[in-house]
Amino acid sequence: MKIAVCVKQVPATTAEKRYTPDLRLDRTATEAIVNPLDEYAIEQALRLKEAGQADEIVFLSMGPEGAAEAVRRALAMGGDAGVLVTDPALAGADEWVTAKVLAAALDKLAPEVSLMGMASDDARGSLVPGAVAAVRGLPLLAYGSELRLTDGAAQVRRLNPTGFDILEAPLPVVASVTDQVGEPRYASLKGIMAARRMELTTWSLADLGLEAAALTARSRMVEARPPATKPPAERITGVGADEAATRITDWLASRKLIA
Amino acid sequence: MADVAFLAEFVDGAPSRSALELAAGAAELAAAGGGVAVGLAYGPGAGEGAGALGAAGAGRAVVLGSDAAPAVTVAGPLVASVREAAPQAVLAPATPNGRDLAAILVGSLGAAAFGPIRAVRMEGGQIRCEMSTLQGSVITVSEPTSEAPATAVILVSAGTYAPREGGSGSAAVSAAPTEDSPQSSVRVVETQAETAAIAALEEADVIVAGGRGVGGEAGFAELEKLAAALGGVVGASRAAADAGWVPYQLQIGQTGKVVKPALYMAVGISGAIQHRVGMQAAEHVVAINRDPDAPIGEFADLFVVGDLFEIVPRLTAQIEQRRGA
Repeated sequence: MKIAVCVKQVPATTAEKRYTPDLRLDRTATEAIVNPLDEYAIEQALRLKEAGQADEIVFLSMGPEGAAEAVRRALAMGGDAGVLVTDPALAGADEWVTAKVLAAALDKLAPEVSLMGMASDDARGSLVPGAVAAVRGLPLLAYGSELRLTDGAAQVRRLNPTGFDILEAPLPVVASVTDQVGEPRYASLKGIMAARRMELTTWSLADLGLEAAALTARSRMVEARPPATKPPAERITGVGADEAATRITDWLASRKLIA
Repeated sequence: MADVAFLAEFVDGAPSRSALELAAGAAELAAAGGGVAVGLAYGPGAGEGAGALGAAGAGRAVVLGSDAAPAVTVAGPLVASVREAAPQAVLAPATPNGRDLAAILVGSLGAAAFGPIRAVRMEGGQIRCEMSTLQGSVITVSEPTSEAPATAVILVSAGTYAPREGGSGSAAVSAAPTEDSPQSSVRVVETQAETAAIAALEEADVIVAGGRGVGGEAGFAELEKLAAALGGVVGASRAAADAGWVPYQLQIGQTGKVVKPALYMAVGISGAIQHRVGMQAAEHVVAINRDPDAPIGEFADLFVVGDLFEIVPRLTAQIEQRRGA
């Protein structure tokens, strides 16, 4: 049983971000991390290996050469191998291009489960797992608070309006997991040292049998601007609870928020 | 003529709130291009109920499936319908089900994908989507490229459009073409009921949300009273859901629900960036927190520094009193 976990390198959550003049995220300007929500997918895969349900964990990333660092950070947590798909033609890739490239790489790796985080920090579409499933022609099991493997099938436990559904599909599948799978482990010093020495596999588009000309982005950004700044909050501080309650009530009433 | 399609999820025989909101949005966009809104209906009761989407704004409706099966299982008929109708856009709710189906469309059609959007405009027949990215630090505007196929896929957050009121008329209903899809093999093998039916956060005008500072179930009971006095519902931060004080269905934020109420009260919530992305579209934000430096103060309209256990019961009493007066 092989699990391939896709990891994305993103700007650090709290870092200041900026766009280049051609409206691409300037990924050189900010500290880069493994997308925090991907760490839950890594954790889920490692737990399945520890439980004896998976025997090989491969990490796959697509990005600039520097994204090798994201693969190494994943390997520092555990796992067996790392692959980076990098090609100058991939700058500015959108959801569809990303899905096509990851799908080709995953076809080559041929895992039973292709696992991803539920969303990336730097975009909020959550569309890549499903798009990869469609490109590969495989069932999609998304938003699992847990991934389980049974004989010949995978299951995810997914939130519904009053509880959870257990969704199942036959292997191989594309799956994504949420931050409910359990806290991701920290990399040990030993893990970090071992990951640094590991040889990563690097694939270009040509290695995947893809042509850059057939992978043109379907969307483009035409404008990026800072959001309107909100005026600072009105503050109520240093007053007793009765006074605070009265002033909140007045504030709500003045804005017609109390019917 | 440019039609605009929308995903219309049915629950227990009726269109969901998201279907009604998207019908209104699709009708507005379609009108700008001289087309009609096309409802892509699925879920229990979609077959009988699809015609009623007419009153919500749809010119016609296509039934993808009427089973209680997972939403993703209508992927085959969905892709076939969109390929056949070639609408200018498909609006999808930014919910897990909506995103599953939107993603399948993107992968199957090679479509341009946008969202969740803040606003979408038609400019000279071109779609332009405005989005808040990088956790709200940048507002971006994007459009399909010339290589994109006819149909763009657009995720729409709850509350972006208001359902039509007092509409009438029935949409012409047709069945979707059948098409095989690997998604047909996805099935529910077990359902675990955990809570009673929960008021949908996405539909609430007032949300009283609690975080770690609320301390436990007893604290949330106080928030329930405050929410009742305000005619609203209770929500929570991830910390409160992780602690088990409330079910995950109430979680607001990057990995929970994205809400847009008229009033959002953040009680004992520090205001991490992951929480912010779930509630930054609220019209009015009131925060109660003992920490004067809590980040929630940076995006509240009214920031009350104090002990929530002292303030909340008094606030509830005062609001009840004023409403009764």
